[in-house]
Amino acid sequence: MSETTSKSIREDLTQRDELSLYTRIANNPRPFFKWAVPMLVLIAVEFPTYAGVAFGMLDAVVIGVTGLLDAAIGLVSSGLSQTIRDAQYAVVGVLRDAGGFVDGLPTLFSREVIPNQGYQTGPNGPWEGTFLGLEPAYAWALRATLIFAYALFTAYWVFRGWLVYRDHYREADWTPTDDIVDNLSNHQWGKFGIFVLILFLTMAVFGSALGPTTVEQNIQSPYSERINYFNEDTGEVDQVFPGDANFNSKSKGSAEFNVGPMSYDDYGRFHPFGTLTNGRDLFTFMMGGARITMIVSALAIGGAALIAAVFSMFSAYYSGRVDLTILTTADGVVSIPRLLLLILVSAVFANHWIGNVLNGGFLLAIIFAFTTWPFLWRAVRGPALQVAQEEWILAAKSYGQQPRTIMRKHMFPYIVGYLLVYASMSTGGIIIGLAALSFLGNGLGISPPTPAWGRAISMGQDYVSGPSWHISLLPGLMIVLLVTGLNALGDGIRDAIDPEAGGSAEGEEAAAGGGG
Amino acid sequence: MSKTTSRPQSAAQGDEVLVDVTDLKKFYGGEGFFAGPPVKAVNGVDFTIKRGETLGLVGESGCGKSTLGRTLLQLETPTEGSITFDGTDVTTLSGSDLKEWRRNAQMVFQDPESSLNDRMTVGEIIREPLDAHDWKTKQERRERVLDLLSAVGLRDEHYFRYPHQFSGGQRQRVGIARALALEPEFLVLDEPVSALDVSVQAKIISLLEDLQEEFNLTYLFIAHDLSVVRHICDRVAVMYLGKIMELGETEELFQDPSNPYTKSLISAIPRPDPTDTTRRITLPGTPPSPRDAPEGCPFATRCPAKIRPEEYTHLDEDVWDGIERFREVIRERSRMDLGVTGLARRGVGRFSRFDDLEEAVSDLFEGVDVPEEVRVHIEQAVEYAKKGYPSKAREYLYEEFSSVCDREKPKFYETSGTARYSYCHRHANEYEDVDPVISRRTSDE
Repeated sequence: MSETTSKSIREDLTQRDELSLYTRIANNPRPFFKWAVPMLVLIAVEFPTYAGVAFGMLDAVVIGVTGLLDAAIGLVSSGLSQTIRDAQYAVVGVLRDAGGFVDGLPTLFSREVIPNQGYQTGPNGPWEGTFLGLEPAYAWALRATLIFAYALFTAYWVFRGWLVYRDHYREADWTPTDDIVDNLSNHQWGKFGIFVLILFLTMAVFGSALGPTTVEQNIQSPYSERINYFNEDTGEVDQVFPGDANFNSKSKGSAEFNVGPMSYDDYGRFHPFGTLTNGRDLFTFMMGGARITMIVSALAIGGAALIAAVFSMFSAYYSGRVDLTILTTADGVVSIPRLLLLILVSAVFANHWIGNVLNGGFLLAIIFAFTTWPFLWRAVRGPALQVAQEEWILAAKSYGQQPRTIMRKHMFPYIVGYLLVYASMSTGGIIIGLAALSFLGNGLGISPPTPAWGRAISMGQDYVSGPSWHISLLPGLMIVLLVTGLNALGDGIRDAIDPEAGGSAEGEEAAAGGGG
Repeated sequence: MSKTTSRPQSAAQGDEVLVDVTDLKKFYGGEGFFAGPPVKAVNGVDFTIKRGETLGLVGESGCGKSTLGRTLLQLETPTEGSITFDGTDVTTLSGSDLKEWRRNAQMVFQDPESSLNDRMTVGEIIREPLDAHDWKTKQERRERVLDLLSAVGLRDEHYFRYPHQFSGGQRQRVGIARALALEPEFLVLDEPVSALDVSVQAKIISLLEDLQEEFNLTYLFIAHDLSVVRHICDRVAVMYLGKIMELGETEELFQDPSNPYTKSLISAIPRPDPTDTTRRITLPGTPPSPRDAPEGCPFATRCPAKIRPEEYTHLDEDVWDGIERFREVIRERSRMDLGVTGLARRGVGRFSRFDDLEEAVSDLFEGVDVPEEVRVHIEQAVEYAKKGYPSKAREYLYEEFSSVCDREKPKFYETSGTARYSYCHRHANEYEDVDPVISRRTSDE
């Protein structure tokens, strides 16, 4: 039996042009299609949403990068920076057109398919304009539940795709990654972290469909279109601007001026989290804030992790002077007070258009990345130094492997786990930092009227002990939940890559051990 | 018997020399103003390796044998000296020339746990050298990997396994396959079997022998296990504190070692013969720090056949032993860092850290009748050290008791007709030979 298998391995390896995944799938397509067809359906029903998110991010990246180039090159040659700006307008124009186009496409879980905004035709009359004539609260709850269920199932199905690959198409019957995944799937606390992360990513991606109303209609331009409502005084259906409706739905801390969680205002609008002090819908506000928070913190932590990974490998591989230079630089960066730097940069770029990319979030992401990388670098440098001492690095040098390849193939796989652990834990700090800036306001943080979590907390701080407690508390709890979830995820990954580290205190020591 | 040379030559003419090492030195540290003395890991080494032979390199741990192996492969930059490989001086190579040369010389590492990257499959590990050198096409690389797997006794299906799934012996086979991937002529085997079980050791050794025959390889076999060396090597070099002490044909060197260090090393091999009467030579103390190597012969501090100065030849063995041990103690003290407090106390004459020296002296000379001429010097040295000047005590003892072994570096003496070289003053005509000295001195014990 081993005779035949070994023969076929040799044939596989030497006679086929490429040992590609494609050939392996072609040989045994059933499991792949059983996974891929549902996956395609899952993507297709919400494709415009994903495309919109992708275009939006591309848009921000293009503006951000060209903006930085423009600012840098503008110092040298103004002609060249004009060219860059022209290119930027062209690209962004195309992206916005494409974004506008996909925005018009229908999606399955949209407010058009399951509408929740309607009006009553009489004092106890049926609801007009809502899904199947349901009450707005139920229509909204149905849509939100469906979206969360859809998102969780899609996430599971993506993971399932990896399982299909592992069981049917991977050449190795076992890899070290399998152990990590198995450990993580037995780690309840870590799974909680993943669950929370998926929850908040869902809010970021499907935010506009999740809210009972839209940021556009309720917050950004509330005086552009009227809405219908049942006027109890006149007993007729009237029209009103959402802005005027907001004005009469404020939560101001007294019994008569309060729209609490899970209640309707006088205009038949349902507010799952109640309203803000200016009468806007808190849940819609939070969903809008989720997207900007997730994008900015992802950019910041991604940038910081990238710098930390590259620098820690340089430190460990070259050591000596290179390490000392990075060490000094990192210490220098750490010595700058973060808040002061944020205030300074916000002031300097207050009227520059780069300060408006992502409503000011891009600049914040850069500053957070710049101030966070030294911590990640310190944490990962230890493990990197450890790997650099392994003999396989020496072996790779002995057959003349390039330093770049040595770092990528022989060092990076060993530090990426630690990087994930520390990155997920540091993200909590960045999210709190972002919220703190918005809380302070005065030109700091995300610029209004774009929703930001910290601003909601700041608005409600005078009413914490009254009927309008929800304004500060609910956003606060959401931040706590997200940060706890990220820490849980970090814990889970740490235990998964190093199961021997065991309990929490010990584990932390083991993971941080090399950091010094 | 005492033909001296500055360096050993290859005796058997007609054998082509593949590797020629001349006065190779590798020091660590010691640069910059505040740095202490450098660690002299390899301190002037000469030897040649002929094509197709296996040269063994033995020595206790820390004597610099692994550093020597790594320096030969340009994994460390030599401080001084040259390494000629097939006619080219490889110490001058750099960039793409060096990379190209690396195909010729590869290494098998000691620890199979650490020498294979656990995140890569065995196929990827063995293929990596080929990828790094862009060797032929992808299919041919895979074919080559499979050939190598079978050459080292592994099977095709191991291609997609991870090192985790293998035993130590199998992992070492993978390491050997990787080293062979680029068809090198020369392999440095850095203790390739010392991390393995004894039963597996034999298999790996015979695999190495088969491969050598099949691919016409030249080996530098680094080891501390003398029996393995005796089995596999054609010639053996014995290393001590960065120096080669003796070099010669394996069997001859094991049967009749010339150098006192080799003698003591070989006397330590357990013998299964109960009637055997060969005395085991036990060396006193530990090897000196490679930061502070003796200025003459590196083995001078522990040598059982050390030459004594003219004026003290009449002393008893016990007295002389005591003197040597006392010098060792003083050397230790002189390497100690006194610290700021120590220096301050010395400045005001209240230094007391070395007050235990008198006790040490009485221990060392316990039951020994120390003649007056020796006693005064010992006491003077103790006095210096107690005042906080151990270096001065060391100088003083050096002036008084040093012999040619302490003062001058020996030469390589050819000690037999078959190209055997030994690094010892005793081979010079004016001194008594090693054997009678050792047997006389050890018999008294």
